[in-house]
Amino acid sequence: MTDTLLVDEDGRFAVGKASTTPQNESVGFLESAEDAAGYWDLTSQEAFEQLSVVLYSGTGMLNTLLSRTGRRVGLIVTRGMEDAILMGRGLQAWTDYSYPDRLHAVTHQAPEPLVPRHRIYGVTERIDQFGNVVAPVYEHEAEKAAEELVAQGVEAICVCCMFSYVDDTHERQITEIVQNVLNKRDVEVPIYRSSSVRPVIREQSRLNSVVIEAYAADVSREQLVGVEEATQSQGFRYGVQTVLSYGGLAGIRYPRLHETMISGPVGGILGAKYVGDIIGSDSVIVSDMGGTSFDISAITRGNIPIENEPTLARFKLNLPTISMESIGAGAGTIIKVDPLTKKVSLGPESAGSTPGPVAFDMGGTEPTVCDCDVIMGRLNPDYFLGGKVKLNVEAAKSVFKEKVADPLGVDVYEAAEGMANMLEMDAKESMRQMISARAVDPADYALMAYGGSGPLHMAEYSRGMGFKNILTFPFAAAFSAFGCTTADYLRRYSRSVQLTLPPNADAEHRNSVAEEINRIWEGLQEAATSEMGDEGHAPADVQLEMFAQMRYTGQLEDVEVPLAMQRITADSDLDLVIKEFDELYAAINGAVAQYREAGHSITELGIVAKVEKIKPKLVRETLQGETPLAEAFKGTRSMYYNREWHEAQLWEMDYLKPGNVVAGPAVVEHPATTLVIPAGDRVWVDEWTIVHYEHAEDSSESE
Amino acid sequence: MASYDKTEIADLIDGSMPWPSTRAIMSAHKDDDRFDKYLSILQERVPWHHPILLPIGEHLYIVQSGENRIVKCDCGHEFGSYQDNWKNQALIRVRGDRESIAEIYPGRYTCDPEWMELREFICPGCVTLLEVEAAPPGFPIVFDFLPDLEGFYEDWLGKSLPQEA
Repeated sequence: MTDTLLVDEDGRFAVGKASTTPQNESVGFLESAEDAAGYWDLTSQEAFEQLSVVLYSGTGMLNTLLSRTGRRVGLIVTRGMEDAILMGRGLQAWTDYSYPDRLHAVTHQAPEPLVPRHRIYGVTERIDQFGNVVAPVYEHEAEKAAEELVAQGVEAICVCCMFSYVDDTHERQITEIVQNVLNKRDVEVPIYRSSSVRPVIREQSRLNSVVIEAYAADVSREQLVGVEEATQSQGFRYGVQTVLSYGGLAGIRYPRLHETMISGPVGGILGAKYVGDIIGSDSVIVSDMGGTSFDISAITRGNIPIENEPTLARFKLNLPTISMESIGAGAGTIIKVDPLTKKVSLGPESAGSTPGPVAFDMGGTEPTVCDCDVIMGRLNPDYFLGGKVKLNVEAAKSVFKEKVADPLGVDVYEAAEGMANMLEMDAKESMRQMISARAVDPADYALMAYGGSGPLHMAEYSRGMGFKNILTFPFAAAFSAFGCTTADYLRRYSRSVQLTLPPNADAEHRNSVAEEINRIWEGLQEAATSEMGDEGHAPADVQLEMFAQMRYTGQLEDVEVPLAMQRITADSDLDLVIKEFDELYAAINGAVAQYREAGHSITELGIVAKVEKIKPKLVRETLQGETPLAEAFKGTRSMYYNREWHEAQLWEMDYLKPGNVVAGPAVVEHPATTLVIPAGDRVWVDEWTIVHYEHAEDSSESE
Repeated sequence: MASYDKTEIADLIDGSMPWPSTRAIMSAHKDDDRFDKYLSILQERVPWHHPILLPIGEHLYIVQSGENRIVKCDCGHEFGSYQDNWKNQALIRVRGDRESIAEIYPGRYTCDPEWMELREFICPGCVTLLEVEAAPPGFPIVFDFLPDLEGFYEDWLGKSLPQEA
């Protein structure tokens, strides 16, 4: 499906849907935009004329990659590294697998390489890790490689030298030789250098990134251009933007388009940061439960965690990405009972949206957690997606009974609740692991629960965790898309370095470190202002924020330290950098984990260039009485909870007003999501129309 | 309970199933009718009618022939009782010198023939290479597999052994 989320300045939104049209994505996009505009009685033309920003994020690039239908890429690498792409990283053979499959090596399979071995050439050269030229480029080898790649009819050429992140001279030299050959042969083929994709240590992920950019980006860009043309034909006045994996927006002509490939979870965490800033909570744990997965992440003191080597389509990439942990557990997760041992397992397979759960009556034959919610009366069979999908309670019940409850010899309702609890326990366990791994106190964090199924299961997955407060949103199902609209135009630029600051460093050493930092930052700044300028942003609008990836010398993990300074102007600035790191490290890992005696290392220097964008504003309203409006009440329904039937009060989410309180047993319904409140718990709506969940006083962990 | 079409099982036997589907089958719980479907596909593919009891190699089956259970090649050649090593009845080619080993494992892949020889077992009926074993020279022919047919059928499959119609 292609979803369109239309947001106005006050944060009100409308969701449109249409089938995706993979041949020409703009068709499906326009249809779904028209559907969304219809909710506001606008034609799509009227909507597009008024819009100031259009964000589009498609799966074209990922599909090109998965279906292996990208360009014929040729590759030139440092001699001796020719097989790197075939060997890949070991984990690429099993990443994304379930735990049992990881253990069963027979299921492991390395992804098919994007470049076959006969289009990979080695060229003798070596710059070592300190930047010394150990061997010059053997120019005749580069020339021969280029000639043979041309003869093989390649459509793109990538160049990746082993230590090009320290010094890219050899990569440039090889590129020039290749370009000369291309000119001589009168062939036009783009050349991609790994150091221009991102000059960062670890050649395997750098190699994957540059190859993927060459392989898949242009196909995807054609789709994006098509979408842009379509919006402009409807009267949209600006360029279409797309979302980068680290949470920024970029125009569709952005040169490193592979950075848009992981944009799924980005929105939620941006939205959480935005809402967190409004309500004064700079530490937030986000939890997104959708149909297929449960994603969590933590914002600590306003810092969004960045993962530097994510995996995509089973390739390890060199691409900063907002870090999210994900377990394959959502409402569409299929429940299986082992015929021999009767052990119940959830997923990771999911029924997805087609065929979907059994209750959808669209051909699903395997019971899912969603079916359990239907059986227990937690979902309204006549109001799913606002009534667009009628849920077949009887079908869900009979399949669930046959495949799960009967084999287990358990009552069907008890079994259904057990399955929902399993999902909730899995979700809770993943949060607990994240929290304990960071040794943080949950009492410092607000939990935000969103995603279509977040509010449905949040009562249990957040119970007894001790969060400062627990929040959800009337628009929980569209929270990720909402979050994307809060993004700014943002670019990250960074470079690997090897700088150490021992506690007893002398002035000369500290001075050389400061000079190196300034040299790198200046280079990155130039790149940033020129690229932002190319996209039409005035230099005065570009805000720069420096950062350093740091660690205590000898440790293995970095912490990304945002810095207020623009350059190191005095020796005391270095102390300031260290102080910032120490504080952030303590906030993330606890003060006892500090290890200042080892000294500090800087492994990467970078800058974030930002231009502010217009954003939806959450509207603050005055609090009204605790009792919701009469029209919000929709009657009652029997709901199974804690092994008993309750008569739950039903409320319409959109009619709840700031100040209203709803006590369980109750169900608050919305076309796109359902909030379940068991007896004893309650929710209240704050002045931003954010829903606060409160567990019963004596709510201890029920495990 | 997982269950697959006969065509899917046939693809599995032929190795022509795409990897993602194969992996999905590997990751799921074992389908409990797999053996029956597997056997019936093999049975349809052989030109003879003795019921297959158990496949024991790519072209070899233990079949019920009258009162006897014998090893039979898919070409129809019979190797005698399954309790005797069928290899003793096969044509055998021994690669026991460098030159003949190098035809298969050239260059540095070649093993030392003083330490290891390759024995190829060939069907006298259709001249198909049925099995290869690597053993030190002088080592007796390896008896790969003597299955407990009664135990397998009665205790595991819960049924009696098929009889010839």
